[in-house]
This record gives sequence, C-alpha cells and structure tokens, in this order.
Amino acid sequence: MKVTAIETSLIRCGRDLHCVAELRTDSELVGVAVGREDVRALLGQITDAVLLGEDPRAVTGLWQRMFDARRKSDHGGLVNAAISMLDVALWDLKAKANAEPLWKTLGGSRPRINVHASGFDPSGSDDSLFDWYRSLAKRFGFRGGKLKVGFDQEADLRRLGLMQQALAECNPEAELMIDADECWSPKEAIRKVREMEERFDLTWVEEPARRWDFLGHKRVSNGIRSAVCAGESLDTLGDFLPHFHERSLDIVQVGTWHGGITGALQLADAAFGFELPVMLCASPGNMHAHLGAAMPYCMSMEVVDPVPVGGVFATDVRIEEGWAVAGDRPGNGLVIDHEALAKAAIAGSPASRGP
Amino acid sequence: MRITGFRSEVYLMKADRAVGDANLPEGVDLLPGSILYLETDENITGISLGFGGSSVKALFPAIEGADPRETVGLWTRLNDWVHKAGNEGEANYALSAIDIALWDLKAKIADEPLWRTLGAREGRVKAYASGLDYCLSDEELFAFYRRMAELGVDSGKLKVGLDLKADLRRLAIMRDALSIASPRPNLMIDSNEYWSPKQAVRYIRQMEEKFDLTWVEEPARRWDYDGLRLVSKQVAAAVATAENINSIADVYPLIANEAVDVLNVSALHSGVTGCRQIANMARAFDLPVSMMNCQANFMAQVAAALPNHNMMEVVDPGREHCLKFASRIEDGHIILGDAPGFGIEIDEAKLAELKAHPPVGKGRFPFPRREGAGRYIVPPAPGEVPWRRGR
Repeated sequence: MKVTAIETSLIRCGRDLHCVAELRTDSELVGVAVGREDVRALLGQITDAVLLGEDPRAVTGLWQRMFDARRKSDHGGLVNAAISMLDVALWDLKAKANAEPLWKTLGGSRPRINVHASGFDPSGSDDSLFDWYRSLAKRFGFRGGKLKVGFDQEADLRRLGLMQQALAECNPEAELMIDADECWSPKEAIRKVREMEERFDLTWVEEPARRWDFLGHKRVSNGIRSAVCAGESLDTLGDFLPHFHERSLDIVQVGTWHGGITGALQLADAAFGFELPVMLCASPGNMHAHLGAAMPYCMSMEVVDPVPVGGVFATDVRIEEGWAVAGDRPGNGLVIDHEALAKAAIAGSPASRGP
Repeated sequence: MRITGFRSEVYLMKADRAVGDANLPEGVDLLPGSILYLETDENITGISLGFGGSSVKALFPAIEGADPRETVGLWTRLNDWVHKAGNEGEANYALSAIDIALWDLKAKIADEPLWRTLGAREGRVKAYASGLDYCLSDEELFAFYRRMAELGVDSGKLKVGLDLKADLRRLAIMRDALSIASPRPNLMIDSNEYWSPKQAVRYIRQMEEKFDLTWVEEPARRWDYDGLRLVSKQVAAAVATAENINSIADVYPLIANEAVDVLNVSALHSGVTGCRQIANMARAFDLPVSMMNCQANFMAQVAAALPNHNMMEVVDPGREHCLKFASRIEDGHIILGDAPGFGIEIDEAKLAELKAHPPVGKGRFPFPRREGAGRYIVPPAPGEVPWRRGR
C-alpha cells in the first residue's frame, strides 16, 4: 500500500473550525484525521515532501522522517500540529490495512476509559451550566465534571457548587475538577484553590501556571491538596523534560497533538515510568479512547461532546455509564459523510494535493 | 483469534566458542536455551526464544482465551496478575517471554515482519561487535573484530576490568581490527559491575589518555545511581547500563538521578512492550537505547522501531543450532527479512537431537560474580585466560 494524495476540507463544528484530512492510497483505503484548521497548507506540503509513495504501515518510521525533515526550520507549533494529524491518518490506515479497530492495532484490550464532562462555556448562565452537567450525567452517566474557572472567585465557588449538585443527582460522589487555562500566577492559584478546597474536594487543578513553568507547577502542587494536571499546551515529548525531571506534574495531559498517536504513546510511556497517570484531552469524535486502551496508566478522558456535532463525521466511540467504549469498526472509527462535508465545507475547499 | 495453549522447551547448547567477562574470564561454552510456543485456535504459533521456563504455567491463565493482538493490554493484565507476589525474577522472565510470543503472533496475524507491525520503515539496525571476549587470545580477539569489520561493523565493545595493561593492549587490537571499517571506530568497554565507582574512574581515565571511548558499560552496580552518576561526571565516555534491570520502574531512579547516558535494553528482560516503554521514557530525556545481544539477533525486530536506538550488540558464538532465520549482517547493519513475526522458525529435529543428547562443555548456571568485585582486583591467574600464559 502506498500513499498517493491528501485531500483536505475546512468545516465548522459547533464552536470550532476543523480541518478534515483524508490520506488516499493506491488501495481503496483512506486514512482520516480531524484537527485544527490552520495546518491545512502544511498537511499538503509535508505529505508531498515525505509521505507520497510510502507504505503507511511504517508509521513510526514516517513519523521520524516527518520530524527530521523539519528539524532545522521548526518542528513545533503548527508544524507539529500538522505532523500530528498526518500521523493520526497513517495509524488509521495501518489499522484499516489489518481490518481491525485502532485500539487493537495499538495492542490495547477493548477500551473502557473513565470519562469526565468538560464544560467549555464559562460565559454561560448558571442555569445552562446546571442543565448541561445534569443532562450529561443523566444521559451518559458521567461521574466527574470539570469547570472552567479563574476570573471571578465568588462565581467560581458558586458554579462549582452547581456542577456538584447537577452531577450528584446521578452520582453523589462525583469527582470535581477545575481548569484555570494558565490564567493564574502560581501564588494566585494556591490562594484560590485553597479557598475552594475548604468547601470542595477537588480531584485535580488543570493548568494552574504557564505551560513551561515547572517551578510554578511544582509550587502549586506543594501548596494545595489536589493534583496538578497539565501538559496540553506543550508540543512534544521533549517539552515535558523539565516537568518530568522536577516531578512538577501529578497528572500528565496527553493528546494526539503531542506528535500524533506515535508521540502520545511515547508520552504516556514516559509518564508511566514516573508513575504518573495520564489524562486524555478532548478530541473530535472522542477518538482518543482508542489510545487510552494502549496506555498503561490512563486515568480519565475529557469529553466535551458525547456525540459529534455538525454531522460531517461519525464516530465509533460511545459514551455510556461514565465510560468511553470504542467499537469494532476498522481504523480510528471516524467516518466522513461526504454529502454533509460538501455542504459544510467552507469556501475554497476541498483542496487536493498529490500527483 | 484466541490463545489456546502453550508449550515450552528447555535445552542446552554448546556454542562454537567460549564467551567470558571480568566475572568469569575463563568463559563458558555451554549455554541454556529455551523456547516458548503460544498456540492459537487458528493454527498460528507465537514463538519466543529464551527464559520461557516453568513460570509460564503460573501466568498462562491470565491470557488463556484472549486475542493475542491485544499485546499491550495483555502486558498490563499479566503485570496486574502477579502484582502482590511481584513481577520480578522468574516471573518477569516468563512474562517477557509471553509478551515476545504475543508480539510474534500479532505480526504473524498481520502477515508482516514485526518491525513493520511496530511501525518501522525499514528492517535495518546498526550493529556493534561485542566479543564477550575475555576468554579469547589476542589472536582470536583480532580475528573476531576483523571478521565483523569485514561485514562493515565499525564499532566494538571489549570486556575489561582485571588487568589494565592487558586491557589497553587489547583495546588497540580491537581498534586495529575494526579500522578497515572506519578510520575511527567506536570503542566501548564493559566491566560487568566488577569495579567500585572510584576504581572505575581511575581505570577509565587511564584508558582515556590513549583511547576515545564511546561508552563504558556497567562501571558500577546496576542499582547504584549515585555511583553511576559519579562515574559519568568524572569520565569523558558515556555510561551505559541497565542490562541487568528489567522494568521501567527500575530504570526510573537511573534516569531521574542522571546516572545513565545510554540505556541497555532487552526484550528478553522487559518484553517488547516493556522495552518500548523504557525507550520512550529515555527519549523524554534524549537518552539513546542499545539493544542487547541475543540468538539470531531476533530482537533487532524491536530495535528497528525504537526512535532513539543507537546500535545493537552483535556476538557470534554460534547459538542458533535449532533455529532457522533469514537475517544477516551487511554494511555494518543487521538486515531483517520480510518473514512474518520475528522471522524465526524452530528446527524441531535438531531440538529433539539436542535434548536427547545434551552437549558436554564448560557451563556455569547461574553466571557468578568474581572474587574481589567492588573492592580489589583479582587478576587472571596464569592459565586462567589464554592471554595470561601459565608458567
């Protein structure tokens, strides 16, 4: 099997603009990845330079070639994001070539990944917040919820209570998490989290300091009860070195943008070596559930949309009774509805590349 | 596909030549062999070489009936299975052998070589020559490294530790033998934990006055991260270690304490799954890994897919009596074929013959530690090694 071309389209899914990539081969198999929209041009460039004519089953070797090809100019930022998406599409092809679901190709046993509900709407009303967590808990059995916090301590305390109450209708012992998205200084984080901890037992605090600030993260972890969880804003494994070396994280966030599936699995193994659990970030179609199956210490997966919005792609990952379970469809389970894609595609799209 | 059963064979083989190090300089030529066969309901058999002894029986219920393609999940299940009693010692070797056989099955089911299953682009791994050569005469030493250099191998690792003067002479012999492959071959030494850390520093510094050493292996005890770090700080060469530790948990203190510059890994000790975990953890710290020697270089299948693998140890004492395989060494690299799985087949007739007529030779089971280790050096007695003549 050889890679012959890539096709990309831009679509709007709820709040986000996504790029849909389809990696074509000389067989009928197509590798699918859904990612951020701003990498679109790079997907074509890197495919042309490295992937055309290559066997997609050599994915970890090709992963190395893609990064090596960009060593001097830059392999972080957008380039990393583009390589990551291509790596996802290659793994999809590798699994499809074996006619097996991705989780099995990765060596996992059927995934049953603990999930937590993650509200992405800090500006919403208290009522909509309460309703959202309650409906997710009722329909999908979520046993944990994560709240965006940071700018208004009184409101955050109130809304933490609302989230707890909404989740508690189904699960009295629901786990509570908060996410400051790097908006605090370390000492600010300690003050605010300690005050929250007087009233709530928090499982983790996400990004309580800047992504690179291992000293700050360590300081926060030493100053509060709950675990410090971060890493989603870093690029690849090497960026985690100071965090591992200083043990400044208690939970390591992992996503396919950390160098694709190849990079995410490396990161999870490294975290395992330090006895650190990993938390899978939210992903289109909750596809990350496949990866969790092959990670020795996966703690939970973030879910924003239990079912994909927008109707352009379907997923094979079901959220039920508080777990994500991936099905048996070959590959990563993402299936593009080409009719819907044609309608949803944003002007100028689709763009085809390759011979 | 389901795992239905297993069979293990344990046998003795006589190598074509003896192998020895600082702990047993006179060497042994009798080596233990074992083979684990994992059977499935679809007539495909997974094979593992080495350590698949009696402990497999206790672990087998954990994987019976499972789909062998779920290698990583089953690795976790096996570790959890033995959690309380521990996954060390015999249990670890059995666990690793099972893991190897599972990966062999996974690749065979996909009808591809394991290097491809693991995602490598090429079945090709840079090799370094390792004589396990304390028991070889100077002439035999030269012949071994020259033979390797003729295959394009440009790196060599010498067993040292008991006699600085002899070791310096033999380092020069190794370098000269390899010089047809490279004007500047990589030279490594291995003292197999015979020295204390400061003994290592004194010894290695004297060597470094005359030779540029790429790495020094096991210059202190396997677990002694303070001692290994001390050596690394006080010599120019990289410190390689970890061949005698098994899991990522044991590697943790070495990495966290900056005690290691090159990690020796082995699927026989950690399984394919554990080996990859260790390599990935090392990669986070930008440390290379080096695959250990083994029969038919079968672990090169794994090394080919590790992103931070530097070169794999190759020895040729002749240990493949009952194995059929297609890998070869060419241009200084192990070239793996396209045969499915590890690409190893068992010659059952030869195996039966070996079992029926066990060879006679020099063997030591288990392999011992030499007197004086870590405290004072006991040089080879006259006649103990060919390069120290009897009176």
